[in-house]
Amino acid sequence: MMRMAKNRLERPVTEESLDAAQLELGVDFQDAECLLISEVKVLLEAQYDSKKEEKNLDEVYTKTLEYAQKFSRYTNRDTIKEVRALLKPTELEPFECAQLGNLCCNEYEEAKSLVPSIGSKISDEDLDSLLKQMDSLKKYQS
Amino acid sequence: MFFHKKLSHTITLHPSFLGPRMREFVTKRLYKDVEGTCTGRYGYIVAVVAILDIQTGKIIPGQGSAEFVVKYSAILFKPFKNEVIDAVVEAVNPMGFFADAGPLRIFVAMKMLPTDMKLHMDSNPPSLRSDDQKIEKSTQVRIKLVGTRVDATNIYGIGTIKEDYLGVIE
Repeated sequence: MMRMAKNRLERPVTEESLDAAQLELGVDFQDAECLLISEVKVLLEAQYDSKKEEKNLDEVYTKTLEYAQKFSRYTNRDTIKEVRALLKPTELEPFECAQLGNLCCNEYEEAKSLVPSIGSKISDEDLDSLLKQMDSLKKYQS
Repeated sequence: MFFHKKLSHTITLHPSFLGPRMREFVTKRLYKDVEGTCTGRYGYIVAVVAILDIQTGKIIPGQGSAEFVVKYSAILFKPFKNEVIDAVVEAVNPMGFFADAGPLRIFVAMKMLPTDMKLHMDSNPPSLRSDDQKIEKSTQVRIKLVGTRVDATNIYGIGTIKEDYLGVIE
C-alpha cells in the first residue's frame, strides 16, 4: 500500500464528478446565479450597439446572442419578472428554476424527467400548477 | 447553463498607459482579455456585465508596469453532465449528428438515437428519420448531455436523445 507523502498536493475536483442530475455543480457554481435564456438575450442585446461600434463582435458573443434570440421563451422584461416571481417562493434551487424557465415543460412528469434533481422538493400538484401558470404567462405575453 | 458570476482578473499595464485615461485602458484591456475566452473551470465567458471594482494599481518593482486587480461580473456558459439543453442541428453524417447550443458543439452518436431512427445520406439535406421525427440541418433538438470534453479554446459536448421528452422540438 503506497503511503501518501505529507506534502502531496490535494487532488483537484475532477470534471467527472460534476453532475447536474445530482445538482453537483462544483464549488464555483454551486451557489451561482443561473440565468434564463431570455435574460441572457436582454443582457446581450443591450451590449450589441456598443460592441458593433467598437468592432468588438467575437464569435462566442454572436453565436450566444443568436442562440438566445432563437430559444428565448419570453418576449419582454415584464414576463421575465413574472416568471421569476412564480419560481422564487418554491424550494427549488437556482439551476432547477432556470431549467424550468428554459425548457417550458407541459406537465410535471416531463419536468421531473428532464430536471431529475427536482425529485420530491415540490409536490406533483404544485409543480403541475407552476408549469401551467408559466405556460399562461407565455401564451398571453405581448 | 448560463450563469451570472463575479470574477477577478489581473491586468498589467505598460507605463505608457499610466496617464489620464488609465481607467479606460484597464476596462478596455479587461474586455479584450476575458470576453470570448473559454476554460474548463468557468466555461465560456460570454460577456462582461459590469466592472465592480478596480483596485489601486501596484507598480511592479524593477519594471515600471502597474498591476491592477479588477473585480467584474460576467455571463458564463458552462455545460454539465446530465443537463438537458436545446440546440440547433448543424450536420448529419454516418456517425450521428452535430448540433450547436450557442458556442457549444454537441455530438450525438448513432447509438444515442432512438432505435427506429435511420440514416438517409442521399436525401437533400442528409437526414435521420424515424416514424415521428426527422433530423436535418437547422432542426431544433432537445439533447441530454452525457459528457463534456475541454481543449485549449473550446468545450465539446456529447449527448443523447434516446430518452423520454428528448429529440426534435416542434
